[in-house]
Amino acid sequence: MSIGVQAPLRRAVTTTNRRPGRGRRFDWLPYALITPLAVFIIALALFPAGVTLVEAFFRVQPLNPPDTFNGFANFVHMFQNDAIVSSMVNTAYYVVIGVVLSTVLGILMAVILQKPFRGRAVLIAVLILPWALPGVVEGIIWSGIWDSNTGLLNSVLTSLHLISHYQVFLGRNQFVTVLVIEVVQVWQMTPLSTLLVLAALQSIPGDLYEAAEIDGASGWKAFARITLPLARPGIAIAMVQAVIATLNVFDQPYVLNGAASTGASVMEQTYFVSFQNLDFGQGYALSLLITVVTIVVSLAIVKLVYRQVKY
Amino acid sequence: MARRFLGRPLGVAFILVWTLVPLYWVLNTSLQTNAQVSAKPANYLPPTPTITNYLTLLTGSGDIATSIRQSLVNICVECAAATVVTVVLAALAAYAFARMTFRGKNVLFYSVLATMAFPAYTTLLPLYRIMSTLGLVNTYTGIVLVYVSGFLPLATWILYNYMSSLPLALEEAGQVDGASRMQVLWHVVLPLAMPGIVSTAIITFLSAWAQFLFPLVLSSSLSTQPLTVVIAALEGLHTVPYSLMSAAGVVAVAVPAVIAVMLNRYIVSGLLTGSVK
Repeated sequence: MSIGVQAPLRRAVTTTNRRPGRGRRFDWLPYALITPLAVFIIALALFPAGVTLVEAFFRVQPLNPPDTFNGFANFVHMFQNDAIVSSMVNTAYYVVIGVVLSTVLGILMAVILQKPFRGRAVLIAVLILPWALPGVVEGIIWSGIWDSNTGLLNSVLTSLHLISHYQVFLGRNQFVTVLVIEVVQVWQMTPLSTLLVLAALQSIPGDLYEAAEIDGASGWKAFARITLPLARPGIAIAMVQAVIATLNVFDQPYVLNGAASTGASVMEQTYFVSFQNLDFGQGYALSLLITVVTIVVSLAIVKLVYRQVKY
Repeated sequence: MARRFLGRPLGVAFILVWTLVPLYWVLNTSLQTNAQVSAKPANYLPPTPTITNYLTLLTGSGDIATSIRQSLVNICVECAAATVVTVVLAALAAYAFARMTFRGKNVLFYSVLATMAFPAYTTLLPLYRIMSTLGLVNTYTGIVLVYVSGFLPLATWILYNYMSSLPLALEEAGQVDGASRMQVLWHVVLPLAMPGIVSTAIITFLSAWAQFLFPLVLSSSLSTQPLTVVIAALEGLHTVPYSLMSAAGVVAVAVPAVIAVMLNRYIVSGLLTGSVK
């Protein structure tokens, strides 16, 4: 009975989409609507990505034509180039430090914001700020904190008598340099991590916590047994965003440490070999390498961390 | 219980300190003379607050001031143009994806989503060579085309989700009344989708404002370099007084900071639809 009533209704609704009189004529409207998007995606995203994929296996030097196929030579050369190898080590540090710090801080801040309280909306508006600002300018902002002559950190540490004289944080020790630069990127990434984890936390039913409290589990136990496992989808997405950002880090090390090997990232080396040495083939190979590593690491995180949650 | 009472104020204080201290510090530095900036220990408040640095940048006639002003104009033109083109094209395509059936729809839709999965810099070198072949290096057009190609997938995705969630009934009523599909889009769908459109526009504008490596590669002259590129170049000189550099930094973050604080609701909702793929 109910089927008999609904079926013609549904048909009536769908037929109104087809204008009377148009009949079987070719419906050009959707194609007109998507053509600009398609042109942009094909010409300025898919085609260039294909170019990177192919030219990574070519010798491409604009000042020294013609381009010739040279197999894996670009990939072999990158491992014989000390500057590129040290940038790979730096980038590995950037990824580990950045993903760990932004995830831990994101979870921490999301838990602080989990329950409603007066002023929470204002706090979220403030929290989001570093996400919205350009990485380059954030580098300049933080150089005021790390500076070896005028920096806030040196001043505070000296006033607290924790150090006797001003220290050099940038460009001396490789690990300290990378850490200090990555904190600046973590500052930029943490708001998005927080929002993603917070969104996952908001969907946890409150009675789960009540039930746990009745069973004697609250505080740390509730966090470890309820909050963390159920926030996994949000945590996984936050980690993937952090992996993509840190593997491709450029702005912060470029502004804070220039080309110096103590902090240069793979993306910086890609820029230098392409636009200073004009060795585009090497640049393409580095771009392809970063792209492949980014996709592989992202998929690994999704597989390890992501779990569909059903209530 | 004590931990519960202390926990939240401590947590709130931590978020405020972590977020605001760097911003306070650049503002504090920009309001001092360069001599005051080199004091040890540092001045935690400007001893004699002065806006000289800002006046130098905004009304001065030196090289630094003129390049900051020109690049401020450039970044505004590029971001506004990229935002308008992106939102218009994304809205048209999102409507087609959300409400129409046509051949090749799924292939195109998944290609658009797939481009979001690989890092933006994959296409850096080819895009430079394309723009250089077309003679579009050092033009607003070149930069805007690259921005639009980069931001269209996310914008289309956010608007597709938003439009799909709108009730069909109003659009059907419009069609029954004899409105064409474009009239339905203009008079029914777009007004209803306005919050999604605002989210998309804000996220696109802020992303464009933050760009650095693409415009660094695509513009080598002051005629098109955005503020981010010029500021990094000034910092790289190591001769620009630190207080003046800080004032330039404040100028560069003022616009996105005001947008982020005033319109944060739209950003949060847009980011959450945009990231959960």
